[in-house]
Amino acid sequence: METFWETFKRHGLSRRDFLRFSTTITGIMGLSPSMIPKVVQALETKPRVPVLWVHGLECTCCSESFIRSATPLASDVLLTMISLEYDDTLSAAAGEAIEKHREEVIKKYWGNYILAVEGNPPLGEEGMYCVVGGKAFLENLKETAKGAKAVIAWGSCASWGCVQAAKPNPTTAVPIHKVITDKPIIKVPGCPPIAEVMTGVIMHLVLFDSVPPLDSQGRPKQFYGNRIHDTCYRRAFFNAGQFVERFDDDGAKKGWCLYKVGCRGPTTYNSCGNIRWYNGLSYPIQAGHGCIGCAEEDFWDSGPFYERLTNIPLPNVEANPDKVGAALAAAAAAGAVVHGVLSKIRNK
Amino acid sequence: METKRFYIFSPGLRLWHWVNFFAILALFITGLYIGNPFFLGPIGYEATYAYDKGITMDLIRKIHFVAGYVFLSGFIFRVIIALFSKRDRLIIPPFWRRDYWIGLKEITLKYSLIMRDKEGNEYIRNAYARSVYPLIYLLFLFMIITGFAMYGMSNPGGLWASLFGWIIPLLGGEFMTHMWHHWIAWIIIIFAILHFYLVVREELIKQNGELTSMFTGYKVFEKEPVDIEDIKE
Repeated sequence: METFWETFKRHGLSRRDFLRFSTTITGIMGLSPSMIPKVVQALETKPRVPVLWVHGLECTCCSESFIRSATPLASDVLLTMISLEYDDTLSAAAGEAIEKHREEVIKKYWGNYILAVEGNPPLGEEGMYCVVGGKAFLENLKETAKGAKAVIAWGSCASWGCVQAAKPNPTTAVPIHKVITDKPIIKVPGCPPIAEVMTGVIMHLVLFDSVPPLDSQGRPKQFYGNRIHDTCYRRAFFNAGQFVERFDDDGAKKGWCLYKVGCRGPTTYNSCGNIRWYNGLSYPIQAGHGCIGCAEEDFWDSGPFYERLTNIPLPNVEANPDKVGAALAAAAAAGAVVHGVLSKIRNK
Repeated sequence: METKRFYIFSPGLRLWHWVNFFAILALFITGLYIGNPFFLGPIGYEATYAYDKGITMDLIRKIHFVAGYVFLSGFIFRVIIALFSKRDRLIIPPFWRRDYWIGLKEITLKYSLIMRDKEGNEYIRNAYARSVYPLIYLLFLFMIITGFAMYGMSNPGGLWASLFGWIIPLLGGEFMTHMWHHWIAWIIIIFAILHFYLVVREELIKQNGELTSMFTGYKVFEKEPVDIEDIKE
Protein backbone atom coordinates (compact mmCIF):
# COMPACT_ATOMS: atom_id res chain seq x y z
CA MET A 1 0.00 0.00 0.00
CA GLU A 2 1.29 3.49 -0.82
CA THR A 3 1.48 6.34 1.69
CA PHE A 4 -0.50 9.57 1.46
CA TRP A 5 2.55 11.50 0.30
CA GLU A 6 3.11 8.99 -2.48
CA THR A 7 -0.52 9.30 -3.46
CA PHE A 8 -0.14 13.08 -3.57
CA LYS A 9 2.91 12.78 -5.80
CA ARG A 10 1.18 10.29 -8.07
CA HIS A 11 -1.67 12.78 -8.51
CA GLY A 12 0.83 15.49 -9.46
CA LEU A 13 0.18 17.60 -6.36
CA SER A 14 2.92 19.82 -4.94
CA ARG A 15 4.68 19.63 -1.57
CA ARG A 16 2.93 22.93 -0.72
CA ASP A 17 -0.49 21.33 -1.34
CA PHE A 18 0.54 18.43 0.84
CA LEU A 19 1.59 20.68 3.75
CA ARG A 20 -1.54 22.78 3.45
CA PHE A 21 -3.62 19.61 3.61
CA SER A 22 -1.67 18.38 6.65
CA THR A 23 -2.24 21.66 8.49
CA THR A 24 -5.97 21.67 7.75
CA ILE A 25 -6.61 18.17 8.99
CA THR A 26 -4.57 18.83 12.13
CA GLY A 27 -7.06 21.57 12.95
CA ILE A 28 -10.06 19.43 12.06
CA MET A 29 -8.88 16.67 14.37
CA GLY A 30 -8.84 19.15 17.22
CA LEU A 31 -5.06 19.01 17.66
CA SER A 32 -2.78 21.92 18.46
CA PRO A 33 -0.50 23.44 15.75
CA SER A 34 2.49 21.89 17.49
CA MET A 35 1.22 18.52 16.24
CA ILE A 36 1.56 19.52 12.56
CA PRO A 37 5.05 17.96 12.14
CA LYS A 38 3.77 14.67 13.55
CA VAL A 39 0.79 14.71 11.20
CA VAL A 40 3.11 15.44 8.25
CA GLN A 41 5.40 12.60 9.28
CA ALA A 42 2.46 10.23 9.65
CA LEU A 43 1.13 11.17 6.21
CA GLU A 44 4.57 10.57 4.71
CA THR A 45 5.12 7.17 6.26
CA LYS A 46 1.79 5.50 7.14
CA PRO A 47 0.33 3.21 4.53
CA ARG A 48 -3.39 3.43 3.83
CA VAL A 49 -5.49 1.45 6.24
CA PRO A 50 -8.03 -1.07 5.05
CA VAL A 51 -11.54 -0.29 6.25
CA LEU A 52 -14.59 -2.53 6.23
CA TRP A 53 -17.83 -0.59 6.49
CA VAL A 54 -20.84 -2.71 7.37
CA HIS A 55 -24.52 -1.73 7.57
CA GLY A 56 -27.07 -3.15 10.00
CA LEU A 57 -30.44 -1.77 11.02
CA GLU A 58 -30.12 1.85 9.98
CA CYS A 59 -31.26 4.50 7.51
CA THR A 60 -27.89 5.25 5.82
CA CYS A 61 -28.03 8.84 7.09
CA CYS A 62 -24.48 8.35 8.43
CA SER A 63 -23.22 7.55 4.93
CA GLU A 64 -25.22 10.47 3.56
CA SER A 65 -23.60 12.75 6.10
CA PHE A 66 -20.14 11.31 5.48
CA ILE A 67 -20.16 11.94 1.72
CA ARG A 68 -20.86 15.63 2.43
CA SER A 69 -17.64 16.12 4.34
CA ALA A 70 -15.92 19.24 2.99
CA THR A 71 -12.66 19.36 4.97
CA PRO A 72 -11.28 16.97 3.98
CA LEU A 73 -13.49 15.98 1.05
CA ALA A 74 -15.10 12.60 1.56
CA SER A 75 -13.74 11.54 -1.83
CA ASP A 76 -10.20 12.34 -0.64
CA VAL A 77 -10.69 10.24 2.44
CA LEU A 78 -12.20 7.34 0.55
CA LEU A 79 -9.84 7.33 -2.40
CA THR A 80 -6.50 8.47 -1.00
CA MET A 81 -6.50 8.08 2.78
CA ILE A 82 -8.18 4.81 3.53
CA SER A 83 -8.62 1.73 1.49
CA LEU A 84 -12.35 1.09 1.64
CA GLU A 85 -12.43 -2.63 1.00
CA TYR A 86 -16.05 -3.31 1.70
CA ASP A 87 -19.20 -1.22 1.89
CA ASP A 88 -22.39 -2.90 0.79
CA THR A 89 -24.01 0.45 0.02
CA LEU A 90 -21.15 2.12 -1.86
CA SER A 91 -19.68 -0.93 -3.61
CA ALA A 92 -19.96 -1.36 -7.33
CA ALA A 93 -19.87 -5.10 -6.95
CA ALA A 94 -22.78 -6.84 -5.29
CA GLY A 95 -24.09 -10.13 -4.05
CA GLU A 96 -21.80 -13.11 -3.66
CA ALA A 97 -18.82 -11.36 -5.20
CA ILE A 98 -18.65 -8.63 -2.57
CA GLU A 99 -19.41 -11.03 0.31
CA LYS A 100 -16.57 -13.28 -0.86
CA HIS A 101 -14.31 -10.24 -1.03
CA ARG A 102 -15.20 -9.39 2.59
CA GLU A 103 -14.14 -12.83 3.74
CA GLU A 104 -10.87 -12.55 1.82
CA VAL A 105 -10.10 -9.11 3.23
CA ILE A 106 -10.70 -10.32 6.77
CA LYS A 107 -8.15 -13.09 6.22
CA LYS A 108 -5.63 -10.95 4.37
CA TYR A 109 -5.53 -8.03 6.82
CA TRP A 110 -6.31 -10.00 10.00
CA GLY A 111 -5.69 -7.77 13.01
CA ASN A 112 -4.93 -4.71 10.89
CA TYR A 113 -8.19 -3.44 9.44
CA ILE A 114 -10.69 -1.03 10.91
CA LEU A 115 -14.32 -2.04 11.18
CA ALA A 116 -16.82 0.78 10.75
CA VAL A 117 -20.33 -0.17 11.79
CA GLU A 118 -23.32 1.80 10.66
CA GLY A 119 -26.53 0.66 12.29
CA ASN A 120 -26.96 -2.05 14.85
CA PRO A 121 -27.87 -5.71 15.13
CA PRO A 122 -31.31 -6.86 16.28
CA LEU A 123 -31.12 -9.85 18.61
CA GLY A 124 -34.76 -10.92 18.30
CA GLU A 125 -35.58 -14.10 16.30
CA GLU A 126 -31.86 -14.94 16.23
CA GLY A 127 -31.09 -11.75 14.35
CA MET A 128 -33.49 -12.47 11.48
CA TYR A 129 -34.83 -8.90 11.47
CA CYS A 130 -31.71 -7.84 9.61
CA VAL A 131 -30.21 -10.14 7.03
CA VAL A 132 -27.22 -9.28 4.82
CA GLY A 133 -26.09 -11.67 2.10
CA GLY A 134 -28.34 -14.43 3.40
CA LYS A 135 -26.86 -14.31 6.90
CA ALA A 136 -28.05 -12.57 10.02
CA PHE A 137 -26.28 -9.22 10.38
CA LEU A 138 -25.56 -10.22 13.97
CA GLU A 139 -23.36 -13.10 12.73
CA ASN A 140 -21.72 -10.95 10.03
CA LEU A 141 -20.87 -8.33 12.62
CA LYS A 142 -19.32 -10.76 15.10
CA GLU A 143 -17.35 -12.46 12.34
CA THR A 144 -16.02 -9.20 10.90
CA ALA A 145 -15.19 -7.75 14.32
CA LYS A 146 -12.99 -10.69 15.28
CA GLY A 147 -10.01 -9.63 13.19
CA ALA A 148 -10.47 -5.89 13.51
CA LYS A 149 -7.89 -3.60 15.05
CA ALA A 150 -10.51 -1.12 16.20
CA VAL A 151 -14.22 -0.62 15.72
CA ILE A 152 -15.98 2.62 14.91
CA ALA A 153 -19.64 2.87 15.93
CA TRP A 154 -21.14 5.28 13.41
CA GLY A 155 -24.12 7.23 14.58
CA SER A 156 -26.63 6.81 17.38
CA CYS A 157 -27.74 3.39 16.05
CA ALA A 158 -24.41 1.71 16.61
CA SER A 159 -23.58 3.79 19.69
CA TRP A 160 -26.85 3.78 21.64
CA GLY A 161 -29.53 1.94 19.66
CA CYS A 162 -31.43 4.94 18.31
CA VAL A 163 -34.96 4.73 16.89
CA GLN A 164 -35.11 0.96 16.38
CA ALA A 165 -34.13 0.45 20.02
CA ALA A 166 -36.67 3.01 21.28
CA LYS A 167 -39.47 1.64 23.42
CA PRO A 168 -40.88 -0.94 22.91
CA ASN A 169 -37.92 -2.08 20.74
CA PRO A 170 -39.78 -4.85 18.86
CA THR A 171 -36.68 -6.34 17.26
CA THR A 172 -34.49 -6.15 20.40
CA ALA A 173 -31.98 -3.96 18.60
CA VAL A 174 -28.89 -3.31 20.71
CA PRO A 175 -25.89 -0.99 20.36
CA ILE A 176 -22.83 -2.79 19.02
CA HIS A 177 -20.91 -2.70 22.31
CA LYS A 178 -23.37 -5.29 23.62
CA VAL A 179 -22.22 -7.67 20.92
CA ILE A 180 -18.55 -6.75 20.43
CA THR A 181 -16.90 -6.81 23.82
CA ASP A 182 -13.23 -7.50 23.15
CA LYS A 183 -12.29 -4.61 20.82
CA PRO A 184 -11.80 -0.89 21.38
CA ILE A 185 -15.00 0.81 20.20
CA ILE A 186 -15.09 4.47 19.26
CA LYS A 187 -18.61 5.82 19.57
CA VAL A 188 -19.44 8.56 17.11
CA PRO A 189 -23.06 9.27 18.02
CA GLY A 190 -25.45 11.61 16.27
CA CYS A 191 -28.32 11.03 13.91
CA PRO A 192 -26.32 11.40 11.75
CA PRO A 193 -22.91 12.44 13.12
CA ILE A 194 -21.36 15.58 11.67
CA ALA A 195 -19.47 14.78 8.45
CA GLU A 196 -16.23 16.44 9.60
CA VAL A 197 -16.42 14.56 12.90
CA MET A 198 -16.62 11.28 10.97
CA THR A 199 -13.66 12.06 8.74
CA GLY A 200 -11.78 13.49 11.74
CA VAL A 201 -12.17 10.24 13.67
CA ILE A 202 -11.05 8.15 10.71
CA MET A 203 -7.99 10.35 10.17
CA HIS A 204 -6.98 10.13 13.80
CA LEU A 205 -7.16 6.35 13.62
CA VAL A 206 -5.23 6.21 10.39
CA LEU A 207 -2.56 8.82 11.10
CA PHE A 208 -1.73 8.00 14.69
CA ASP A 209 -2.49 4.33 14.49
CA SER A 210 -4.29 4.69 17.81
CA VAL A 211 -7.73 5.28 19.21
CA PRO A 212 -8.38 9.00 19.90
CA PRO A 213 -8.77 10.00 23.58
CA LEU A 214 -12.23 8.85 24.65
CA ASP A 215 -14.52 10.08 27.43
CA SER A 216 -16.18 7.78 29.97
CA GLN A 217 -18.90 6.97 27.42
CA GLY A 218 -16.41 6.00 24.71
CA ARG A 219 -16.81 9.12 22.59
CA PRO A 220 -13.79 11.04 21.19
CA LYS A 221 -13.17 13.92 23.59
CA GLN A 222 -12.20 16.40 20.92
CA PHE A 223 -15.66 16.23 19.32
CA TYR A 224 -17.93 15.30 22.23
CA GLY A 225 -16.23 17.22 25.03
CA ASN A 226 -18.75 20.06 25.14
CA ARG A 227 -22.45 20.49 25.52
CA ILE A 228 -24.14 22.15 22.57
CA HIS A 229 -25.56 24.57 25.17
CA ASP A 230 -22.07 25.64 26.23
CA THR A 231 -20.99 26.33 22.64
CA CYS A 232 -24.30 27.76 21.43
CA TYR A 233 -24.30 31.21 19.88
CA ARG A 234 -27.75 31.77 21.48
CA ARG A 235 -26.38 31.15 24.97
CA ALA A 236 -26.46 34.89 25.77
CA PHE A 237 -30.27 34.84 25.46
CA PHE A 238 -30.42 31.93 27.91
CA ASN A 239 -28.35 33.77 30.50
CA ALA A 240 -30.40 36.92 29.99
CA GLY A 241 -33.65 35.00 30.49
CA GLN A 242 -34.99 35.71 27.00
CA PHE A 243 -36.86 32.66 25.79
CA VAL A 244 -38.96 31.67 22.81
CA GLU A 245 -42.40 30.65 24.15
CA ARG A 246 -43.90 29.55 20.82
CA PHE A 247 -42.41 29.07 17.40
CA ASP A 248 -44.41 31.97 15.95
CA ASP A 249 -43.84 34.54 18.68
CA ASP A 250 -41.73 37.66 18.70
CA GLY A 251 -38.86 35.97 20.55
CA ALA A 252 -38.60 33.32 17.83
CA LYS A 253 -38.25 36.05 15.21
CA LYS A 254 -35.57 37.76 17.29
CA GLY A 255 -33.64 34.51 17.61
CA TRP A 256 -33.97 34.05 21.38
CA CYS A 257 -33.08 30.90 23.31
CA LEU A 258 -35.13 27.79 22.46
CA TYR A 259 -34.88 26.26 25.96
CA LYS A 260 -38.58 26.54 26.74
CA VAL A 261 -39.65 24.93 23.47
CA GLY A 262 -37.71 21.82 24.39
CA CYS A 263 -34.16 22.45 23.15
CA ARG A 264 -31.92 19.59 24.35
CA GLY A 265 -28.74 21.63 23.92
CA PRO A 266 -28.14 21.71 27.70
CA THR A 267 -27.96 17.91 27.86
CA THR A 268 -26.34 17.01 24.53
CA TYR A 269 -22.68 16.53 23.77
CA ASN A 270 -21.69 17.20 20.17
CA SER A 271 -19.81 19.66 17.98
CA CYS A 272 -22.85 21.23 16.29
CA GLY A 273 -22.19 24.53 18.07
CA ASN A 274 -18.64 24.92 16.79
CA ILE A 275 -18.06 22.77 13.68
CA ARG A 276 -21.70 23.10 12.52
CA TRP A 277 -23.09 21.43 9.40
CA TYR A 278 -22.67 21.70 5.62
CA ASN A 279 -19.14 23.04 5.77
CA GLY A 280 -19.94 25.24 8.75
CA LEU A 281 -23.07 26.78 7.23
CA SER A 282 -25.61 26.20 10.00
CA TYR A 283 -27.03 23.81 12.61
CA PRO A 284 -30.53 23.13 13.93
CA ILE A 285 -30.58 25.89 16.58
CA GLN A 286 -29.27 28.41 14.06
CA ALA A 287 -32.14 27.38 11.79
CA GLY A 288 -34.61 28.21 14.57
CA HIS A 289 -35.39 24.70 15.81
CA GLY A 290 -34.33 23.35 19.19
CA CYS A 291 -31.78 20.56 19.44
CA ILE A 292 -33.51 17.17 19.81
CA GLY A 293 -30.46 15.61 21.47
CA CYS A 294 -29.84 13.12 18.66
CA ALA A 295 -26.34 12.30 19.90
CA GLU A 296 -27.60 11.25 23.33
CA GLU A 297 -28.59 7.85 24.62
CA ASP A 298 -32.32 7.03 24.29
CA PHE A 299 -33.18 10.47 23.01
CA TRP A 300 -36.36 9.06 21.45
CA ASP A 301 -37.60 8.02 24.87
CA SER A 302 -36.77 11.26 26.68
CA GLY A 303 -40.19 12.81 26.29
CA PRO A 304 -41.64 15.16 23.67
CA PHE A 305 -39.03 17.11 21.70
CA TYR A 306 -40.89 20.38 22.26
CA GLU A 307 -41.18 20.33 26.04
CA ARG A 308 -38.53 21.19 28.58
CA LEU A 309 -40.01 19.29 31.53
CA THR A 310 -41.33 16.01 30.30
CA ASN A 311 -44.31 14.28 31.79
CA ILE A 312 -43.80 11.96 34.70
CA PRO A 313 -43.22 8.49 33.25
CA LEU A 314 -46.06 6.67 34.99
CA PRO A 315 -48.55 4.59 33.05
CA ASN A 316 -51.66 6.57 32.08
CA VAL A 317 -50.39 9.76 33.67
CA GLU A 318 -50.04 12.77 31.40
CA ALA A 319 -48.90 15.46 33.75
CA ASN A 320 -46.24 18.07 34.07
CA PRO A 321 -44.03 17.36 37.14
CA ASP A 322 -44.48 20.90 38.49
CA LYS A 323 -48.28 20.53 38.38
CA VAL A 324 -48.16 17.10 40.02
CA GLY A 325 -45.69 18.35 42.63
CA ALA A 326 -47.79 21.42 43.45
CA ALA A 327 -50.96 19.30 43.66
CA LEU A 328 -49.29 16.80 46.00
CA ALA A 329 -47.84 19.59 48.15
CA ALA A 330 -51.29 21.22 48.39
CA ALA A 331 -52.86 17.87 49.25
CA ALA A 332 -50.23 17.30 51.94
CA ALA A 333 -50.88 20.75 53.43
CA ALA A 334 -54.68 20.32 53.33
CA GLY A 335 -54.38 16.83 54.81
CA ALA A 336 -52.17 18.24 57.54
CA VAL A 337 -54.75 20.89 58.49
CA VAL A 338 -57.59 18.35 58.63
CA HIS A 339 -55.50 15.82 60.54
CA GLY A 340 -54.33 18.57 62.89
CA VAL A 341 -57.88 19.63 63.77
CA LEU A 342 -58.95 16.01 64.32
CA SER A 343 -55.85 15.34 66.46
CA LYS A 344 -56.59 18.36 68.61
CA ILE A 345 -60.18 17.19 69.16
CA ARG A 346 -59.08 13.63 69.93
CA ASN A 347 -56.52 14.83 72.48
CA LYS A 348 -58.87 17.21 74.32
CA MET B 1 -47.45 17.29 86.63
CA GLU B 2 -43.74 16.85 87.13
CA THR B 3 -41.75 17.29 83.94
CA LYS B 4 -38.12 16.81 82.98
CA ARG B 5 -36.05 18.86 80.54
CA PHE B 6 -33.70 16.91 78.31
CA TYR B 7 -30.94 18.29 76.15
CA ILE B 8 -31.56 16.75 72.73
CA PHE B 9 -30.04 18.77 69.89
CA SER B 10 -26.41 19.84 69.78
CA PRO B 11 -25.55 23.40 68.68
CA GLY B 12 -23.93 22.04 65.51
CA LEU B 13 -27.08 20.17 64.57
CA ARG B 14 -29.29 23.19 65.20
CA LEU B 15 -27.03 25.40 63.13
CA TRP B 16 -26.97 22.86 60.31
CA HIS B 17 -30.76 22.51 60.41
CA TRP B 18 -31.35 26.21 59.79
CA VAL B 19 -28.59 26.65 57.25
CA ASN B 20 -30.03 23.66 55.43
CA PHE B 21 -33.53 25.14 55.66
CA PHE B 22 -32.48 28.35 53.92
CA ALA B 23 -30.33 26.50 51.38
CA ILE B 24 -33.20 24.19 50.41
CA LEU B 25 -35.60 27.11 50.18
CA ALA B 26 -33.25 28.98 47.87
CA LEU B 27 -32.47 25.86 45.85
CA PHE B 28 -36.11 24.97 45.38
CA ILE B 29 -37.32 28.40 44.32
CA THR B 30 -34.42 29.01 41.94
CA GLY B 31 -34.66 25.42 40.71
CA LEU B 32 -38.31 25.87 39.75
CA TYR B 33 -37.32 28.85 37.62
CA ILE B 34 -34.40 27.01 36.02
CA GLY B 35 -36.70 24.10 35.12
CA ASN B 36 -39.36 26.41 33.76
CA PRO B 37 -38.33 30.07 33.33
CA PHE B 38 -41.77 31.58 34.00
CA PHE B 39 -40.91 35.26 33.71
CA LEU B 40 -39.00 37.21 31.13
CA GLY B 41 -35.53 38.67 31.61
CA PRO B 42 -34.67 42.31 30.96
CA ILE B 43 -35.86 43.77 27.67
CA GLY B 44 -34.21 46.51 25.69
CA TYR B 45 -30.63 45.36 26.04
CA GLU B 46 -28.50 43.30 23.73
CA ALA B 47 -28.49 39.78 25.18
CA THR B 48 -24.73 39.95 25.60
CA TYR B 49 -25.11 42.86 28.03
CA ALA B 50 -28.46 41.86 29.55
CA TYR B 51 -27.28 38.95 31.70
CA ASP B 52 -26.47 41.19 34.69
CA LYS B 53 -29.46 43.54 34.39
CA GLY B 54 -31.94 42.64 37.13
CA ILE B 55 -33.20 39.13 37.80
CA THR B 56 -31.94 36.99 34.94
CA MET B 57 -31.38 33.30 34.39
CA ASP B 58 -27.71 34.00 34.97
CA LEU B 59 -28.33 35.44 38.46
CA ILE B 60 -30.84 32.75 39.39
CA ARG B 61 -28.45 30.01 38.34
CA LYS B 62 -25.68 31.67 40.32
CA ILE B 63 -27.88 31.68 43.45
CA HIS B 64 -28.74 28.04 42.80
CA PHE B 65 -25.07 27.08 42.54
CA VAL B 66 -24.02 29.07 45.61
CA ALA B 67 -26.88 27.52 47.61
CA GLY B 68 -25.79 24.15 46.24
CA TYR B 69 -22.30 24.66 47.62
CA VAL B 70 -23.80 25.69 50.98
CA PHE B 71 -26.00 22.59 50.93
CA LEU B 72 -22.99 20.37 50.14
CA SER B 73 -20.85 21.99 52.85
CA GLY B 74 -23.73 21.55 55.30
CA PHE B 75 -24.02 17.89 54.41
CA ILE B 76 -20.31 17.31 54.98
CA PHE B 77 -20.55 19.21 58.29
CA ARG B 78 -23.52 17.02 59.28
CA VAL B 79 -21.54 13.85 58.61
CA ILE B 80 -18.58 15.15 60.63
CA ILE B 81 -20.62 16.04 63.72
CA ALA B 82 -22.27 12.63 63.56
CA LEU B 83 -18.84 11.05 63.69
CA PHE B 84 -17.87 12.89 66.85
CA SER B 85 -21.04 13.09 68.89
CA LYS B 86 -23.42 10.34 69.90
CA ARG B 87 -26.50 12.54 70.07
CA ASP B 88 -26.00 13.52 66.40
CA ARG B 89 -26.01 9.90 65.38
CA LEU B 90 -29.71 9.05 65.54
CA ILE B 91 -29.75 8.50 61.78
CA ILE B 92 -29.95 4.74 61.58
CA PRO B 93 -33.35 3.33 62.69
CA PRO B 94 -32.71 0.82 65.55
CA PHE B 95 -34.81 -1.93 64.01
CA TRP B 96 -32.91 -4.56 65.99
CA ARG B 97 -34.40 -3.17 69.21
CA ARG B 98 -37.79 -3.96 70.69
CA ASP B 99 -38.58 -0.36 71.68
CA TYR B 100 -38.36 0.69 67.99
CA TRP B 101 -41.13 -1.74 67.00
CA ILE B 102 -43.28 -0.85 70.01
CA GLY B 103 -42.77 2.79 69.14
CA LEU B 104 -43.74 2.11 65.54
CA LYS B 105 -47.02 0.55 66.72
CA GLU B 106 -47.72 3.37 69.15
CA ILE B 107 -47.04 6.19 66.70
CA THR B 108 -49.22 4.50 64.07
CA LEU B 109 -52.09 4.29 66.55
CA LYS B 110 -51.52 7.90 67.63
CA TYR B 111 -51.44 9.26 64.08
CA SER B 112 -54.59 7.28 63.21
CA LEU B 113 -56.26 8.98 66.22
CA ILE B 114 -56.96 5.65 67.93
CA MET B 115 -54.54 6.26 70.81
CA ARG B 116 -54.19 9.55 72.66
CA ASP B 117 -50.80 11.20 72.28
CA LYS B 118 -50.15 11.36 76.02
CA GLU B 119 -50.68 7.62 76.41
CA GLY B 120 -47.94 5.08 75.86
CA ASN B 121 -44.19 5.64 76.09
CA GLU B 122 -42.20 8.79 75.48
CA TYR B 123 -39.48 8.83 72.85
CA ILE B 124 -36.85 11.41 72.07
CA ARG B 125 -37.59 10.74 68.44
CA ASN B 126 -40.61 8.76 67.27
CA ALA B 127 -40.26 5.66 65.12
CA TYR B 128 -41.64 7.30 61.96
CA ALA B 129 -39.10 10.09 62.17
CA ARG B 130 -36.39 7.55 62.82
CA SER B 131 -37.39 5.60 59.71
CA VAL B 132 -37.89 8.57 57.37
CA TYR B 133 -34.86 10.75 58.19
CA PRO B 134 -32.30 8.29 56.78
CA LEU B 135 -34.28 8.22 53.53
CA ILE B 136 -34.30 12.01 53.43
CA TYR B 137 -30.54 12.07 53.94
CA LEU B 138 -30.23 9.70 50.99
CA LEU B 139 -32.38 12.04 48.90
CA PHE B 140 -30.13 14.95 49.95
CA LEU B 141 -27.14 12.93 48.83
CA PHE B 142 -28.89 12.09 45.55
CA MET B 143 -29.57 15.78 44.92
CA ILE B 144 -25.94 16.66 45.67
CA ILE B 145 -24.61 13.97 43.34
CA THR B 146 -26.98 14.70 40.44
CA GLY B 147 -26.70 18.45 40.95
CA PHE B 148 -22.94 18.58 40.97
CA ALA B 149 -22.76 16.04 38.13
CA MET B 150 -24.83 18.33 35.90
CA TYR B 151 -22.95 21.38 37.15
CA GLY B 152 -19.59 19.74 36.59
CA MET B 153 -20.25 18.29 33.15
CA SER B 154 -19.79 21.69 31.53
CA ASN B 155 -16.16 20.66 31.99
CA PRO B 156 -16.17 16.87 31.56
CA GLY B 157 -12.53 16.48 32.59
CA GLY B 158 -12.90 18.59 35.73
CA LEU B 159 -13.13 17.77 39.42
CA TRP B 160 -16.92 17.66 39.86
CA ALA B 161 -17.41 15.66 36.68
CA SER B 162 -14.88 13.06 37.75
CA LEU B 163 -16.38 12.91 41.27
CA PHE B 164 -20.05 12.65 40.31
CA GLY B 165 -20.25 12.23 36.53
CA TRP B 166 -20.76 8.47 36.88
CA ILE B 167 -24.39 8.97 37.94
CA ILE B 168 -25.43 10.30 34.50
CA PRO B 169 -25.25 7.04 32.50
CA LEU B 170 -26.85 5.19 35.44
CA LEU B 171 -29.93 7.42 35.19
CA GLY B 172 -30.12 7.00 31.42
CA GLY B 173 -28.38 10.13 30.18
CA GLU B 174 -28.11 13.74 31.16
CA PHE B 175 -31.66 14.70 30.22
CA MET B 176 -33.08 12.07 32.55
CA THR B 177 -30.66 13.28 35.25
CA HIS B 178 -32.28 16.72 34.98
CA MET B 179 -35.70 15.11 35.30
CA TRP B 180 -34.76 13.02 38.35
CA HIS B 181 -33.23 16.06 40.01
CA HIS B 182 -36.52 17.90 39.44
CA TRP B 183 -38.80 15.11 40.69
CA ILE B 184 -36.80 14.46 43.87
CA ALA B 185 -36.83 18.21 44.65
CA TRP B 186 -40.62 18.01 44.91
CA ILE B 187 -40.42 14.98 47.20
CA ILE B 188 -38.11 16.88 49.55
CA ILE B 189 -40.53 19.84 49.62
CA ILE B 190 -43.49 17.54 50.38
CA PHE B 191 -41.39 16.02 53.18
CA ALA B 192 -40.69 19.53 54.51
CA ILE B 193 -44.44 20.33 54.62
CA LEU B 194 -45.25 17.13 56.52
CA HIS B 195 -42.22 17.60 58.78
CA PHE B 196 -43.38 21.10 59.70
CA TYR B 197 -46.94 19.92 60.33
CA LEU B 198 -45.94 17.02 62.56
CA VAL B 199 -43.70 19.27 64.64
CA VAL B 200 -46.51 21.81 65.10
CA ARG B 201 -48.95 19.01 65.92
CA GLU B 202 -46.66 17.65 68.64
CA GLU B 203 -46.26 21.12 70.11
CA LEU B 204 -50.00 21.87 70.04
CA ILE B 205 -50.94 18.62 71.76
CA LYS B 206 -48.13 18.16 74.27
CA GLN B 207 -46.65 21.67 74.72
CA ASN B 208 -43.34 19.86 75.12
CA GLY B 209 -41.07 22.38 73.39
CA GLU B 210 -40.94 20.40 70.15
CA LEU B 211 -41.20 23.56 68.09
CA THR B 212 -38.57 25.52 70.02
CA SER B 213 -36.20 22.59 70.52
CA MET B 214 -34.50 23.29 67.20
CA PHE B 215 -33.56 26.71 68.62
CA THR B 216 -32.90 25.88 72.28
CA GLY B 217 -31.85 22.25 72.03
CA TYR B 218 -34.19 21.20 74.89
CA LYS B 219 -37.40 19.19 75.00
CA VAL B 220 -39.68 18.57 77.96
CA PHE B 221 -40.94 15.09 78.86
CA GLU B 222 -43.38 13.92 81.52
CA LYS B 223 -41.56 10.64 81.93
CA GLU B 224 -38.13 9.48 80.88
CA PRO B 225 -38.03 8.61 77.17
CA VAL B 226 -37.36 4.90 76.58
CA ASP B 227 -34.65 5.60 74.01
CA ILE B 228 -32.83 8.16 76.16
CA GLU B 229 -29.69 5.98 76.13
CA ASP B 230 -29.20 7.00 72.47
CA ILE B 231 -28.17 10.52 73.44
CA LYS B 232 -26.31 9.91 76.70
CA GLU B 233 -22.65 10.53 76.10
